[in-house]
Amino acid sequence: MALLKHSLPDGKYYGMLAEFPAPRELVHACEHVRDAGYKRWDAHSPFPIHGMPRAMGLKSSILPWVVLVFGLGGATSAMLLQWWTSSVDYPLVISGKPFFSWQAFVPITFELGVLGGAVAAVVGMLALNQLPMLFHPLFGSKRFEQVTDDGFFISIESWDPKFDLEATRNMLERLGATHVELISADSRVGAS
Amino acid sequence: MSDEKIARPLGHGSAGLKLSASQFSVPRGSLWARLPWIAGIVGLVGIAASAVVGWGTEQFYFSWLVSYLYFLSIALGGLFFVLVLFVTKAGWGVVVRRVAENVMSTLPLFAVLFIPIWLGRHELFHWTHEEAVATDAILQAKAPYLNDGFFLGRAVAYFAVWALLSWWFAAQSRRQDHSGDHAITHRLQLWSGPSIFLFAVTTSFAAFDWMMSLDPHWYSTMFGVYFFAGALVGMFAFQAIVFIGLERTGLLRNVVNTEHFHDMGKLLFAFTVFWAYIGFSQYFLIWYANIPEETIWFEHRMAGSWESVTLLLAVGHFLVPFFFLMPKTIKRNRGLLLAGAMWMLLMHLVDIFWCVMPVLHHHGVHLGLLDVTTFLGIGGLFISMFSWLLARHALIPVKDPRLPESLAFENM
Amino acid sequence: MKSSAAPTEDNISHDPVDGRAPLILGGHDFHSITEAVAAPLEAKPPLGWWIVLAASGSLLGLLGISTMWLIWEGIGIWGVNNPVGWGWAIVNFVFWIGIGHAGTLISAILFLFRQKWRTSINRSAEAMTIFAVMCALIFPGVHVGRAWVAYWMMPIPNQMGMWPNFRSPLLWDVFAVSVYGMVSFLFWYTGMIPDLGTIRDRSKTKIRRMVYGFLAQGWRGSARHWQHYESAYLILAALATPLVLSVHSIVSMDFAVSQLPGWHTTIFPPYFVAGAIFSGFAMVMTLMVITRVVFKLENIVTLRHFENMSKIMLVTGSMVGYAYGMEFFIAWYSGNPYEQFTFVNRAFGPYAWAYWTMITCNVLSPQLFWFKKFRTSVPLLFILSIFVNIGMWFERFVIVASSLHRDFLPSSWGYYKPTFWDVSLFAGSFGLFFFMFCLFLRFLPMVATAEVKTVMPEADPHHGEDRTAPERAMASLEEEPTY
Repeated sequence: MALLKHSLPDGKYYGMLAEFPAPRELVHACEHVRDAGYKRWDAHSPFPIHGMPRAMGLKSSILPWVVLVFGLGGATSAMLLQWWTSSVDYPLVISGKPFFSWQAFVPITFELGVLGGAVAAVVGMLALNQLPMLFHPLFGSKRFEQVTDDGFFISIESWDPKFDLEATRNMLERLGATHVELISADSRVGAS
Repeated sequence: MSDEKIARPLGHGSAGLKLSASQFSVPRGSLWARLPWIAGIVGLVGIAASAVVGWGTEQFYFSWLVSYLYFLSIALGGLFFVLVLFVTKAGWGVVVRRVAENVMSTLPLFAVLFIPIWLGRHELFHWTHEEAVATDAILQAKAPYLNDGFFLGRAVAYFAVWALLSWWFAAQSRRQDHSGDHAITHRLQLWSGPSIFLFAVTTSFAAFDWMMSLDPHWYSTMFGVYFFAGALVGMFAFQAIVFIGLERTGLLRNVVNTEHFHDMGKLLFAFTVFWAYIGFSQYFLIWYANIPEETIWFEHRMAGSWESVTLLLAVGHFLVPFFFLMPKTIKRNRGLLLAGAMWMLLMHLVDIFWCVMPVLHHHGVHLGLLDVTTFLGIGGLFISMFSWLLARHALIPVKDPRLPESLAFENM
Repeated sequence: MKSSAAPTEDNISHDPVDGRAPLILGGHDFHSITEAVAAPLEAKPPLGWWIVLAASGSLLGLLGISTMWLIWEGIGIWGVNNPVGWGWAIVNFVFWIGIGHAGTLISAILFLFRQKWRTSINRSAEAMTIFAVMCALIFPGVHVGRAWVAYWMMPIPNQMGMWPNFRSPLLWDVFAVSVYGMVSFLFWYTGMIPDLGTIRDRSKTKIRRMVYGFLAQGWRGSARHWQHYESAYLILAALATPLVLSVHSIVSMDFAVSQLPGWHTTIFPPYFVAGAIFSGFAMVMTLMVITRVVFKLENIVTLRHFENMSKIMLVTGSMVGYAYGMEFFIAWYSGNPYEQFTFVNRAFGPYAWAYWTMITCNVLSPQLFWFKKFRTSVPLLFILSIFVNIGMWFERFVIVASSLHRDFLPSSWGYYKPTFWDVSLFAGSFGLFFFMFCLFLRFLPMVATAEVKTVMPEADPHHGEDRTAPERAMASLEEEPTY
């Protein structure tokens, strides 16, 4: 997890940022960028766009597996805790119930399983997204401030093997970008 | 943007008018067209065999009751599903609704199949024994409810309500195949709400009458909900199997797609979990308070080999399907979904068997010829009527205004 | 400019069979949605906000005094006695938790059911959940008497070698409600991250940018991030759904695991859950009726949203009514004289006034929602939502007081009346609730802006094409009507 700084290779430019007018143009452009063989690039939008992962050729998220592991872990820990405290360490006779009252242990087991899964989902999502990352070169662009409002963008990093100052710009303009700008690699430009 | 304010009518008119019922019906001479006969013969043979083997014996009536409640619960599940699709104005489900309508339309058959239960009430229900009631204060207290006349009257009422609801909703839907009239959709949506209420009351009391009163000292406010939960598991499993079967014989290939199967799988998964929640709640509260009057019901189901069946339900009806049906990839895979659905159909049968049979066989599981013949008998007739209805009408509501939305449906 | 006054069009008189009615009115586009939601955060708060803040602030003060006096003097300042050892405190606890559940239902369950209309109200509803859970936790915290050793409920190794009693539903409550609070918070916060980014990017001052920037964690709308985000959101929704069912089921088990007539009945878990959703939606309704007018969000929280909410209230209210019916019938059917007495006593005994209030508010009043006129009239919705909450409070009161005050042995029978401090603590909890809600409205985006944008037609990548997806699907089937 890149906590505060984006560790970039050396280079003057971060990459190119292209703005598109609407989701349709963005998805269409992404399909072409994907097919052109770019690897280090991204699309940006104020909300998730239907069909975007396919358009970008992204693989499915592994988050569900992480959640499953921690969910089962939470449930197992809960059952172990209850078993050990009630049946082993200090067994007490409570209204005639057996020391290992698995039925009575179900509610807490379920709850801690859900907690484990939920925490894993959120922490896992942030980790997979390498968030928090408060400083990023893209924040240097004034137009990029629209990304959380109504702006749709594609950014292609300059370290992508296919990146070329002219060719990439031409491709983006051909795909319908309304504005293309070069982003400097100064990562001290922050979101704060 | 201004013309997007109100979504314009699809297809500038009624787009569905171009499709006709005959274009989406079961082809003549296909397996589905012959199924009513095949299943019908199996059914009649099964019933005849049951009568020959054990007419009048306790085992006959109990085996009959198990199979009866099993197939009835699937039919009732179909009724509920249709009502819910209308009350929620669901878009995705239009392509699957006709099959559910055909499932629920078998309900009148169950009125006829109830006759042996009425004839066998003495063997089935302890509260019909006058000598027992005379010496039992609790049964006397319940006598205003548990008596022959009111029992029969209630049964008549349940079948009247179920037949009326299933017939009316199905008939209106089929009428729309020809007229494409939007007013029909409005009407069905409007009446689906009160119909659900009628469904809830009749189904709950039917469960009390035909299953809970087998043990007339026992009671549980949750029992109606428990029966309902199992019924829906059975229905969604049956539905998935029917559609996979249709697809494998080349029907509805362009209509019911992976997205719909995914949703059918989700419903099966959700109600499996719901059944477990309801079943466990009922068990758990009775276990915890430990009142003998209540715990006896579970005691009977832990005696001898019944204990293994209880364990089988916990593991097979919940634990394994929970993990099996959870992943998206399984629900979107026909073969795996089919396996899961068939398993759940089996588990639902085990559930009904486990609820009913311990009243007859106290010491353990007893499977006999009558269990098989009555299952084939009632099941055969159920499948026969269902497939007969399926072949008689279009397989999808061809002029339903929401059909286009259903065809284009995509999951998250 | 986008309409912010009362809408001249509506989305409830439209025939839903022809096509889905729009969810957002007033000709909004993405930017105007951002403006509508963010502007109140950036401007001076309206007078109405200050008034509510002041009123709730004073009730909050009352809460503080009631709590401190209770801890100082002891539970004796309340009206609890023998036989009614549990009074308003447990009723209020269940009341507040129940209210919280609607937020999770709107966020999680409606999401799983693909109900797009939830996006206008889910943020406020989730906030409501968190504040309701905060209010709820006060009561079990202080009603134990020695609140300063409340940590004994946690399984922390100690010099006494003792552990909490895991076989008690009261302890399951501790875990269930804590987990519920934490997961609700995680869900609420995760949903807010993109919108916090929006506020960050609009910030005019450095402090604002720093605070919202920190909270937004550097969110930049990356599609790769959105993919993991959507996965997390779906998982949280899928986890929160059984969670909300389990939490109120566990709360119901506080009563149902006992042997007390009127408490020990197997239908309690789903019945409590249905009741919780019922009362929670009523509270959301109450809050949104006021909020949308004060902050001019009538085109985002529309009459269609209210109509849908009232339908859910009709469904859950009917489930509650069904449960009442089942309880009553089975109490008779059981032949158990104690069960039968309990129900007769509820309807005709000393607490009959509470029972009939409950029936009128919970069973009769939501039946008005069968009629479209009641579902779409804002003043009527406001009044009915308050009725429902009153009724649901009384339901818990009837369950607790009427079952406890007359149980098996007539010589133990008694009566419970609340004291001033019972009432003041409850009133004070409303202060906490509305105070926190006011702060939320002032500082955080009150509508899930990014989510609302996804349900607008413009968000669809196929928007503007000649034919919609349903039209294309239909056309291809008409061209080739074979299997």
